[in-house]
Amino acid sequence: MKDNFVKLQPWIGLVVRLTLGGVLFVAGYLKVGTPDKSQMAVRAYEMLPISVANLLGLILPPVEIVIGVLLILGALTRVMAALGGFTMFVFIIAIAQAWARGLNIDCGCFGGGGAVAPGETKYLQEILRDTGLAFLAAYLIRYPVTKFSIDKKPMESTSQKDVA
Amino acid sequence: MAQEKNAKGGKDNFTRNLVIAVVLGVVLIMLVPTLLSKKSNTNAATPSSVSVEDGYGMVFNKELQDVPFIEIYEDFQCPACQRFEGIVGEYIEDLINTKKAKVAYHPLSFLGPESQLAANAAGCAADQGKFIQFHKLLYVNQPPENSGAWSSSYFTTLSLGLGILSKDYDKCIANNEYKDWVVNVANEGAKRNINSTPTVFINGKEIDRNKAYNSLAEFMLAVSKA
Repeated sequence: MKDNFVKLQPWIGLVVRLTLGGVLFVAGYLKVGTPDKSQMAVRAYEMLPISVANLLGLILPPVEIVIGVLLILGALTRVMAALGGFTMFVFIIAIAQAWARGLNIDCGCFGGGGAVAPGETKYLQEILRDTGLAFLAAYLIRYPVTKFSIDKKPMESTSQKDVA
Repeated sequence: MAQEKNAKGGKDNFTRNLVIAVVLGVVLIMLVPTLLSKKSNTNAATPSSVSVEDGYGMVFNKELQDVPFIEIYEDFQCPACQRFEGIVGEYIEDLINTKKAKVAYHPLSFLGPESQLAANAAGCAADQGKFIQFHKLLYVNQPPENSGAWSSSYFTTLSLGLGILSKDYDKCIANNEYKDWVVNVANEGAKRNINSTPTVFINGKEIDRNKAYNSLAEFMLAVSKA
């Protein structure tokens, strides 16, 4: 069983890496062309001062793209997984507080965002999705060695300890 | 980390350089142009009847005092704005014509490039004294979001129906002359925390989201109370 896992682990890691990286890349890509909307989506959470929210709305999509691309390539996998996991953690908190406060917003995760009609919110789905992605990030932090990555090969990597 | 470098310095450098390249590439290709395009330009050309102190809005009956001040934030591509126009558009037009309200229109462009073009064209129409008519016409002819239907030639053709026959007007639309103004309107809207369209204020207070956007009677009530 354990042997099997050692053999399979880099392949699982590849799927996990491409999934998390792909989602982050697409999320960033869909927002990067519509900065006004992205700013609006961040403001709608009513967590940050307006000027900070507007700045974050401009910066967040390119950051997601960078993390996504590097995860897809498998460069600095562990660091990027940590960053990706951190953003998921922040998103979960942001969505949860919006839900708890009774705001009616779309998470704006893949474009869109801003206020929606009451009853059109999808907080639970959004939180579950981001939680799943956070687990994927956690997996990559624990097992950063994956197939077809730019990162160093397992035998040279200090993280090999984790696998064995 | 240090150990890895000793083992195979070249490979580590490759990863490092790749990371730097990706970060720089995204910053230069995406972040910098976005930040530049979002910069307000205080020298921007503005259409006639735009009031800088009213958030670059298109203001009607600016000179009137002691009347309700209605501010409308909208995106010409937004279906909810089209609905709102259908419900209260004529009433607001009436208020303007009978000088019973001061009205500011803020054409936002967050839905994408065609909203930007439409907002610019509306500015051009304002110079021809046809903003309200053009505004109405845009909503009547609203295509699905960013479908490619709204182009310069579309707007100039559309305006023929309003009797606009002006070379300046066509040029204004084709050259996207009020591009910077549209950016300024968007930035002022962002500063004012406009998070959905339409957003309507009467005397600085947003109208009831659950009532006054969907019913002419409720909207009239809100105006009369102001």
